[in-house]
Amino acid sequence: MSIDPKQPSLLNWRTLWGLLFVAAVIWSLHLAGLFERDQVNVGGWTLVVRFLLAAFSPELSSEFLHLTLEATLQTLTYAVCGTFFSVLLGLVGGVLSSEVWWLSKGFQAYWLAVRAFLAIPRAIHELIWGLFLINIFGLDPLVAVLAIAIPFGAITAKVFAEILDETPRTSLLALLNSGVSPLNAFAYSLIPQAFPNLLSYTFYRFECSIRSAAVLGIIGAGGLGYQILLSLQSLRYEQMWTFLIALVLLSGATDFWSAMLRRQLGATSRLDLNVLNLSQRQKPLDQDHRLVSLSLFGVIVLLIFSFWYVKADFTKLWTPRTAQLLAGLIQDSFPPDISQLSQVLTLAAQTLAMSLLAITIAGIGGILLSFPAANNFLLPGGILDPGRNSHLGTAVLVFTRFFLLFTRAVPEPIWALIFLFVFFPGILPGAIALGIHNLGILGRLMAEVTENLDQRAARSLKALGATGSQVFLYGVLPCTLPRFVAYILYRWEVCIRATLIVGFVGAGGLGRLLTEQLSSFDYRGVIATLICFICLTFLVDLISATVRRTLR
Amino acid sequence: MDSNLSSNIPVPIFELKNVNKQFGSFQSLININLQIQAGDRVALVGSSGAGKSTLINLLNGTLQPSEGEVWVLGRNLASLRPKSLRQVQQQIGTIYQQFHLVDNLRVIHNINAGHLGRWSFLKAAVSLIFPRDVETAARALKQVGMLEKLYQRTDRLSGGQQQRVAIARVLVQNPIAILADEPISSLDSERSREIIQLLRQLSQDSGKTLVTSLHAFEYAHTYYQRIIGLRQGRILFDAPAEAVSPAMVEALYRLKD
Repeated sequence: MSIDPKQPSLLNWRTLWGLLFVAAVIWSLHLAGLFERDQVNVGGWTLVVRFLLAAFSPELSSEFLHLTLEATLQTLTYAVCGTFFSVLLGLVGGVLSSEVWWLSKGFQAYWLAVRAFLAIPRAIHELIWGLFLINIFGLDPLVAVLAIAIPFGAITAKVFAEILDETPRTSLLALLNSGVSPLNAFAYSLIPQAFPNLLSYTFYRFECSIRSAAVLGIIGAGGLGYQILLSLQSLRYEQMWTFLIALVLLSGATDFWSAMLRRQLGATSRLDLNVLNLSQRQKPLDQDHRLVSLSLFGVIVLLIFSFWYVKADFTKLWTPRTAQLLAGLIQDSFPPDISQLSQVLTLAAQTLAMSLLAITIAGIGGILLSFPAANNFLLPGGILDPGRNSHLGTAVLVFTRFFLLFTRAVPEPIWALIFLFVFFPGILPGAIALGIHNLGILGRLMAEVTENLDQRAARSLKALGATGSQVFLYGVLPCTLPRFVAYILYRWEVCIRATLIVGFVGAGGLGRLLTEQLSSFDYRGVIATLICFICLTFLVDLISATVRRTLR
Repeated sequence: MDSNLSSNIPVPIFELKNVNKQFGSFQSLININLQIQAGDRVALVGSSGAGKSTLINLLNGTLQPSEGEVWVLGRNLASLRPKSLRQVQQQIGTIYQQFHLVDNLRVIHNINAGHLGRWSFLKAAVSLIFPRDVETAARALKQVGMLEKLYQRTDRLSGGQQQRVAIARVLVQNPIAILADEPISSLDSERSREIIQLLRQLSQDSGKTLVTSLHAFEYAHTYYQRIIGLRQGRILFDAPAEAVSPAMVEALYRLKD
């Protein structure tokens, strides 16, 4: 056949990025020293065995359970207060950085300026904010609340702005044209229209706040993270497991509540929140207003309780001493000290390698575990329904989901400390810790992709006699893989920021340098390192966005 | 089946015996008895909700009847082990209203999916990177008149083009019988006529059995030998096309009893 269309070359963007990725992983493994040094500390295995055995006998004395409850409430209240302030900041910032607000005021491009300004607090991790704030407020719960509120407020502002800009504008314009002032017009049109989406996102942020509140424990802010760290360092694993279980329960309950509520509000799934695609938003099928109103009531009770329980000294916010300390800190920090630049650059390369290895582990593991965790896969009537022995499918589903929940509920630095039992300090244990934590998050996100998959194509393949594995290969993987890659790239952006917090517990990279500089009060060095780190995160964002665009 | 064999009557391709199908409390098909012989060209007509799609899905083994038996190629589908069921399904090609192609794959892979019943897993996997049996796929695509689209992504094609790809997939599958479930309901009238003509020609050329469910009666009358009228889950008539009178058609689409 001479007129056959020519087969397209295998050399396209997809294979190019694939090859670059493989090269980058090899480079990262090289930087991690995998090919030269011995990585495993053989003596650590006995500790690992002790640690794992302790899981079967968590400390359950009533006195200790009381302590656990206190720590859990502390973490919860940090998260609640932090979310409250971040939503306040987010609402103000969101309106101010939305295109539609400035259009309604008659100005043009101010929203871009506000957005650019908000990018800075967003780029700095909660933990760094926490360490800065400790220097101003001392060890006060205020530190934990603000350390969550500031960066999350900036993130929420960005997302709220995007939601407002994507909401249909006709009713807003109608009000504006009849002479209503922009603020009132917003309050009566755009905000109520966007309310379900805003609320969904708020709850998603609350899930994130719980995790952050736990992580902030490791800088001394108290709560579950702090207690886990203490019991881990003093080798009291039985106690540590009790705290871990409490954290998994808290985190799992929050996820469950939030997911249920979001389904009621119109099924904005976690995915769409992350890679905002609200146009696909489904109409809620049967709204159960009781759940929504009950939740709102619960939120109010939780807020009052939290502000009472957290005992943060909010007056410190406006005392002259705070202003003095802040001014002093800023004075000490400038100009940045660039004398260590070559060291900083080496560590930046290591940090990049750590994030690459972490996302490789998380991506591959997440893909593999996402399928058994999806509720339309192995179960009866699912895509790969094995036909017989449906109990096995259910057991696999429950086990995988629990595993994913556990891996994402344990904060990254705790994973890092556990892996530091058996690995010598370096970027490898950090990468594994980040990888395991993100595996739990990615696995759940990807399971949702499979659950939302249009199954008609897969069923038509089944109808023509394809085996289960072939249906998977032709009818499932081609549809899910592009979204998987998009979420992996998005998670990579999160990973590079989280390298800091595993660095804090000794896993190498810029985070470790930052810890040393902070503990020796070398603020000029801190600023130089931070600037380099922020540039690195912007670089990763840029690569991720470029890859996503060319793969679309 | 013994009686059939001894009296030398060929085994029907499809046979439904006292079939009922229920979805929850909804009776989709009621007491259906039906035989379709090799080489038959049958149109299933009736308004939406009459049970046409359910019937098609019973015939290709996607659904199981609530009561009664579905026999395909002389085998009772309910008694088959998964592997034998797949072997029977390999002989039945289905075309759908919404095409049911894998959007993200190139046309060639969607066509090659017709081989899946025969291919090993390894061959299927390799083919996604280095397409196998390109000539067979190209020949099938040429038959439906779209050779130039072989390496296009499927979701970039128009509805009519996607339906042609689905037909090319069935050609590659090379089944004994072709089922088409409302193949033209998503297409404009010009495209509809082309697709129906194409289906008839393919079945005539190769002697394949063709069962098509259609919403519109006109095409059934022009292009099919035998018409089965379904109304509210029951067979209202089953007759040669020329024997179907306007009164029968009117009864089929009448709103109330």
